Amino acid sequence: METEKVLEEIKDIMVERLKFDPSRTSELTLATVLPKGMEGSLGLDSLDFIEMSIAIEERFGFVIDETEDVETHFESLGALVAYITLHTAGR
Amino acid sequence: MPAERAVIRKTLAHFTGATGSRLDGLTARVFVDFAMCFSDLVSTNREPSERLASYVVGTEGVERLSGLTGGLISLTAHVGNWELAGRLLAGQSARPTHVVVAPEEARELERWVRRDGEGVRFVTRSRPTVSLELVAALRRGEVVAVQADRALGTRGDTMISFFGRPAPFPLGPFLLASAVGVPLVPAFCLLTADYRYLVKVAEPLTVRRGDEEDAARAWAALLEDVVREHPTQWFNFFDIWDPFNG
Repeated sequence: METEKVLEEIKDIMVERLKFDPSRTSELTLATVLPKGMEGSLGLDSLDFIEMSIAIEERFGFVIDETEDVETHFESLGALVAYITLHTAGR
Repeated sequence: MPAERAVIRKTLAHFTGATGSRLDGLTARVFVDFAMCFSDLVSTNREPSERLASYVVGTEGVERLSGLTGGLISLTAHVGNWELAGRLLAGQSARPTHVVVAPEEARELERWVRRDGEGVRFVTRSRPTVSLELVAALRRGEVVAVQADRALGTRGDTMISFFGRPAPFPLGPFLLASAVGVPLVPAFCLLTADYRYLVKVAEPLTVRRGDEEDAARAWAALLEDVVREHPTQWFNFFDIWDPFNG
């Protein structure tokens, strides 16, 4: 799956599942930092990450591998897109 | 600790209807019971789980755990010796238990009260992505232990009637349970008259997507029952109905 397509799907998840204001999605880039408490971040909290991880599995059809260092893949939109792209390669 | 004493007194007055010298006695008793549980926390809790069992004079409902084979959330509160319960149940379930805790305000206390080992691992709620670690642990069939009687002051709180007045309770444990599809098992470790412990395990709560607030209300009602029965063993030194003011 292409990077742009994955990014758009993640934006959809943010609006539909995290109740993110749709007008703010245009601000999101691969450099956007996700976790609350990090400089310049989008401010996602622990509940957002639970919801987002479940939504990603449902939407992209793979199970997030618990043996990997999962947290690093959720630090920025770029890291998350790269992680999803890797797991959906060839589709 | 005048501020804490005032909060405890106010809370007990509401729970018990006590006034005057009876209320004074109950208020003092909270600090006695807390001292007992805290001293046990730094001493007996450092012993192997098989020795911990000798401090327990009875159990109620522990058989409810036997049919639960996958991951589960152990739901508890700042009642009695909650950490002793966690260690005992971790030993019994033979599954790793991840105890979710707030960053300790008094950092020098951490090495005394938060000791990893014997299947217990403390997970500090210091970063939001820690929830991903908890999702993974539950999926591996492990146990996540949380205290669900203290609001966080975030959007993750929900208002629930507690002793007749709305109080904020954390919704996170219930959202985690519904997202991963695991039960919540309420458990308490209560101090007895002879300074031993009674472990009580309540009926597990199953949460479907969208029903998280109902589950949180069921939990608050259960906590109300326990606190009504053991008013001096709820070590909540905050105003439960208005914890973020004052």
